[in-house]
Amino acid sequence: MKRIVVEGLKYKYPLADSLALNDVTFDIKQGEFIGIIGKNLAGKSTLCQALVGLVPHFYKGAYGGKVFVGGLEVKNHSIADISLKVGMVFQNPFTQVTGSKMTVYEEIAFGLENIGVPRSEIIERIDSVLNLLKIEQVKDHNPFDLSGGQMQRMAIASIIAMKPDILVLDEPTSQLDPAGSEEVFQAIQSLSKQGITVILAEHKMEKIAQYCDRVLLLNNGKVVDFDTPGKVFSREDLEEKGVTAPVYTRVCKALGVKKAGTDEYPVTLEEAERVLRGDGA
Amino acid sequence: MKKQSMWSLRLSTAALVLIPVAVGVNYIGKLLAALLKLPLWLDSIGTVLAAMLGGPIVGALAGAINNIIYGFTDPISFVYAITSVAIGLAVGILFYKGFITSWGKAVVAGLIIGLVATVVSTPINIGFWGGTTGNIWGDALYTFVLAKTDSTWLASLLDEIVVDIPDKIVVVLVSYGIFRGLPQNVIQLYTNNEKIETLD
Amino acid sequence: MKSISLYEEGTSFVHDVDPITKLWYIPFAILIPIILPLFTVSFLLIGLSLALLLAAKVIRKTIPVFGFVFLILITVVLIQGMFKPENETVLFQIGPLTMYKEGLLFALTITLRVINIIGAFMILVLTTKPSDLVEALVRKGMSPRIGYVVVSVFQIIPEMMATMSTITDAQRARGMETEGKLLVRIKAFLPLLGPVVLGSLINTKERAMALEVRGFNSQAPKTFLYEEKTYQFSKILQMGMLLLTVAAVVWRIFL
Repeated sequence: MKRIVVEGLKYKYPLADSLALNDVTFDIKQGEFIGIIGKNLAGKSTLCQALVGLVPHFYKGAYGGKVFVGGLEVKNHSIADISLKVGMVFQNPFTQVTGSKMTVYEEIAFGLENIGVPRSEIIERIDSVLNLLKIEQVKDHNPFDLSGGQMQRMAIASIIAMKPDILVLDEPTSQLDPAGSEEVFQAIQSLSKQGITVILAEHKMEKIAQYCDRVLLLNNGKVVDFDTPGKVFSREDLEEKGVTAPVYTRVCKALGVKKAGTDEYPVTLEEAERVLRGDGA
Repeated sequence: MKKQSMWSLRLSTAALVLIPVAVGVNYIGKLLAALLKLPLWLDSIGTVLAAMLGGPIVGALAGAINNIIYGFTDPISFVYAITSVAIGLAVGILFYKGFITSWGKAVVAGLIIGLVATVVSTPINIGFWGGTTGNIWGDALYTFVLAKTDSTWLASLLDEIVVDIPDKIVVVLVSYGIFRGLPQNVIQLYTNNEKIETLD
Repeated sequence: MKSISLYEEGTSFVHDVDPITKLWYIPFAILIPIILPLFTVSFLLIGLSLALLLAAKVIRKTIPVFGFVFLILITVVLIQGMFKPENETVLFQIGPLTMYKEGLLFALTITLRVINIIGAFMILVLTTKPSDLVEALVRKGMSPRIGYVVVSVFQIIPEMMATMSTITDAQRARGMETEGKLLVRIKAFLPLLGPVVLGSLINTKERAMALEVRGFNSQAPKTFLYEEKTYQFSKILQMGMLLLTVAAVVWRIFL
């Protein structure tokens, strides 16, 4: 079942001269884990925001084409309506703190109170996301006293608690150390396995390769490619688009070893190991 | 592009989020003025900025909420909430009518706003304190005028004016300076007066 | 994080009273002396407020506020005592200064009024957590969006102060002078204030977006993480204050 359908999406920010998104078309099935990659200003954040309705409702500007998320056409629904189906986590964890709550626990409750979740269920949901994101130990701390990484976990927890069908994450682990990122990605993957559709804009290509079912490569507001990590990262023109392939792919490319029977280079450590040991042949 | 009426009560989220920042700016302006031992209050820069960016309603709300919050550290300020509301309204109207467009006009606007603040504060000063303001220079003038003319109202009005006018001129100048330093896409955020254009 | 509110946690019955009832007490305490302009009435109400502040064990926290107010009140007493236009009856003389009865009585009226109003506000302010007050008002029908704005100020101000002190330290380290002649101090104002203001304004965009995706503008009836704090005698207290006000009006008109 298709959860997201984007048809000919065009968007220009107010006061801007050029299109931030130019004729973007793709669709995503329920439960898919999708990565969005591309250089800075390629349109990744704009595309993420177009899926929750911030583009165009928050910014205004000029808009064309159609975006359907979970059956709602974004253009005709308010952000509040869309946010019941699509959750979004932003890059900067600091500005995502509402500033109206004194503890992490209350902070996560903010969205649930707004959408009218009953009290007993609020508590149940918070306890479950605190556990999922491993932040139980700071639940009574002031949100502004957290480290960048903990804040980022809290931001993700706050959105997941709202139980969206679709989860959009814009570089959600920028403040986390490698071990912390890995934990967060595993938490997201567990949601994906429960049937939640995940869309992730990210610079950490190793993570994209490891977790994503398909990868959307953007350049100058246009879709260059939308395929499996193996296909996208094996493209010869990747560097031109401002993307550096995962380190495993680059090593195998330099050595000239492809996955057996395909035209693709390995993209994860496991694949590379298999190919280099010769097991996959 | 037609501007939405400046009196619209449908505030965007961005305009609402501007209000706590405005109150914070008032607070740190006042703190900084005290730290640098400046002879002015400079405690309404945020209200003025909010009114410039969001219009009279946002300015008035910022003023009201500012004094209600200050009231939690100093209950007297509750009483002067009306003055802050008047400042927010006056700046918002002047700015949206396109009056504040240069440094010179900003000085005139500061003068007008100082007068507005005085006119609103004086009855409060009389009702609450019998007419004095607690400011040494103002109260000295009050005593002098009262001794000469026997008019509490005139004395109180002048008491407030000598304090308010210089303060508000500096406040409007500082706010206008900050406003001019803001990127266009930030200024555009709060007005919320545009329709979505179509590219289909 | 340093709090800007004067609220002090406590376990007294004054703390237990719900915020709305404490809010009611403010117009009550202000109105009664206006309806019945007698010194006795003002003293009674001030006595009541002070007793409640004592019972709440927060009287110590009122000292700085009253101290500041007394400074202003001293000028009121001096100026009115000496220069009030209606002054006639000489009470006493100190050197060249003459104090008059009319002016001093007027100053006493003002003093009682100010202490009364501040006392009533202090009960609310010192024994009520600001967020509890806002939540109580939102339950009574205040817009949750406005409620958000009010509560967030208490978090945002300490944040901005922290940023400002970082900037002040950095500017001083770079040799900016913040002491000395007036002109020098004026010149320091904008470079210290500007960056904090610009940064905070630019942050509003992302904060507004983050609120939007968390249902900030949702039409659904809002729910609350915490159960409503109720006080068993709140209705009785509110009715009592209303009845006393009506009684005061009746007294004024008929007696």
